[in-house]
Amino acid sequence: MIRENPGIKEANVTALTLLVALAAAGAATADQGLKPGKASLTSAGPLAFGPAGILFVGDSAGATIWAIDTGDKTAGSGSINVSGLQDKVAAMLGTTPDQVAVNDVIVNPVSRKAYLSVSRGRGPDAAPVILRLDASGKLEELRLDDVKHAKVSLANAPAADAKDRRGNSLRSEAITDLHYVDGQVFIAGLSNEEFASKLRSVPFPFASADGGTSVEIYHGAHGQWETRSPVRTFVPYEIQKESHLLAAYTCTPLVKFPVKDLKPGSKLVGTTIAELGNRNRPLDMIVYKKDGAEFLLMSNSSRGVMKMSTKGIEGQEAIKQPVEGTKGLPYETIADWKGVEQLDKLDDGNALLLTRAESGALDLKTVPLP
Amino acid sequence: MLRLAAALALAGAAHAADTRTRITLEAGVVRARPAAAEATLELFVDGPADLPPILGGVVREGDALVFAPRFPFQPGMAYRAVYREPGQAPLVEVVQLAAATAAAAAEATLERIHPSADVLPENLLKLYLHFSAPMSRGEAYRRIRLLDEAGNPVELPFLEIDQELWDRDGRRLTLLFDPGRIKRELVPNEEVGSPLRAGRAYTLVVDRGWPDAHGRPLAREGRKRFRVGPPDHAPPRTRDWRVVPPRAGTRDALVVTFPEPLDRALLERVIEVLDRSGAALDGEVAIGGRETRWSFTPGAPWRAGRHILRSATILEDMAGNSLGRPFEVDVFERVEDRVLDVSESLYFEIE
Repeated sequence: MIRENPGIKEANVTALTLLVALAAAGAATADQGLKPGKASLTSAGPLAFGPAGILFVGDSAGATIWAIDTGDKTAGSGSINVSGLQDKVAAMLGTTPDQVAVNDVIVNPVSRKAYLSVSRGRGPDAAPVILRLDASGKLEELRLDDVKHAKVSLANAPAADAKDRRGNSLRSEAITDLHYVDGQVFIAGLSNEEFASKLRSVPFPFASADGGTSVEIYHGAHGQWETRSPVRTFVPYEIQKESHLLAAYTCTPLVKFPVKDLKPGSKLVGTTIAELGNRNRPLDMIVYKKDGAEFLLMSNSSRGVMKMSTKGIEGQEAIKQPVEGTKGLPYETIADWKGVEQLDKLDDGNALLLTRAESGALDLKTVPLP
Repeated sequence: MLRLAAALALAGAAHAADTRTRITLEAGVVRARPAAAEATLELFVDGPADLPPILGGVVREGDALVFAPRFPFQPGMAYRAVYREPGQAPLVEVVQLAAATAAAAAEATLERIHPSADVLPENLLKLYLHFSAPMSRGEAYRRIRLLDEAGNPVELPFLEIDQELWDRDGRRLTLLFDPGRIKRELVPNEEVGSPLRAGRAYTLVVDRGWPDAHGRPLAREGRKRFRVGPPDHAPPRTRDWRVVPPRAGTRDALVVTFPEPLDRALLERVIEVLDRSGAALDGEVAIGGRETRWSFTPGAPWRAGRHILRSATILEDMAGNSLGRPFEVDVFERVEDRVLDVSESLYFEIE
């Protein structure tokens, strides 16, 4: 009476081919597809800057990526230093510091102003706020009531939500990082149910109702075990004029893969170029140039900030053997950068750090790139 | 409901009230009245002098200046209103809303933890913690401890990510064990091994001090004690499921049992029943047997004939092995040749 019928397995059209990329968005229109009105964010998490002062905001609770015209296109400079950031943000928002979370900090590469995504409140109804500040140290809110914006929903993206016919899904997806590269927004996400590595790319300007393509990325750890592990943080990086992403996984390997290989329907095996060892929770990464050489900085929960020369990345041999300790790209630890939770490049010579002291106090600091 | 804090500044000048500016907090806004034409009104959290003013807008209403905060004033919190008029000393008034009454809702509790089995595999991938009320974010990793038999905390057993994996209501937390420690031959696994060891017992402790979304602690500490069995590297297979079909004409439940517990959250979502035309049936899903039993009670009586039980292949067991795909895959199988299906189907007859 009961039998399995393996012949009826349905091909994975949803995840791998249905969401074939719409043709890469055509020439960007002058307004980048942004329309004025209220941008009703449900939450504000990872941030990224795109072209012409456009800020991308990852809204995990709303399963949406927002593109917001900050209007902030005038070149600027100067260092940014704010001590007791959490107290100040809380005071602006009329609440106590324990009711405020700073979720991300990035720098507008044109104006050199810092942008912060903040939650006011700690429960599920916490209010999202975007703040910015310049070298004067004055915090201001980026008001979203009437701002040019566009959005793309991730809810219709592949996988699992399609099955939620009974409407009782508790599934959500945390956006762990996002970046804009060559007309595409890349989004790393982690589901609170199925364990899978998802990296989406969405062409910008956003096409209507395009949930983007989804690719599962594998890293061949030591060539023996293929694992599924979510990308925790990643950074765009050019190798021989070709766009790559360097991605740090939740389980320590650092992996590279070319952007052009991120195609729907393909399965991508990233190349593990370093394994960073135990108790390493990569938090944030930047790539910068100094004295003609290029470096990768990675902030990290236990090792402080790690600095690696990118010189070897191009030819770095994939790690194929079981390793002890760390392997791959050699790194040094920047000893005096402590408690770095977020980092971004402020300008060619400086980094902007969000640091947490042992007392719990949050500071924004400008320091020379090491 | 609203009340003013003591208006000390005006205490000695009551007789001149008509001409002096008064600052009041009423209906969620702060009003300075009468206000001179050039006057300004700012609000601060009552605290150190270097704090920036509260976000909000000021409008003139008749002879008053009215400050509306960007976010509602918080009950019980003191705010400092500063009214300035050219050529005059600033008028400073501390205002506050009455603290919320403590009676409100009952305290939150940790209602259940999944998997609910007492024996869990050494390579257990995740736990679901269900709370009775929405909880505060940003607390999870310091409020949850995993203790070994001697009562010592296991060091860094979980994947700690800032985003904390909550459902939208803030009532269910997904806690992932550190995949780097579970997966074989990764450095963390080699160096310190899996956080759980077969043959040993552990207790997961949820601190009572964990605040709910309103800042109140839990009613009591939460605990789950469990033993650890061998690692599970085998993916679940639908062919091992036992399907007991009900009789035609009844609304009895279709019962499916599994040889091992499967992921609770996915069980509730990714299995469905279709009739022979492929249309999904409406009905209620129930999970039992410590996540080894799935049952489906249809909204309408069963009709005779062939039916389909369909599960998405993302369905996982306790160790993250999903249908047809282990948590760890031997790369020598050549990844690209394996068919990745979205679902698998079992057929059964209703008679």
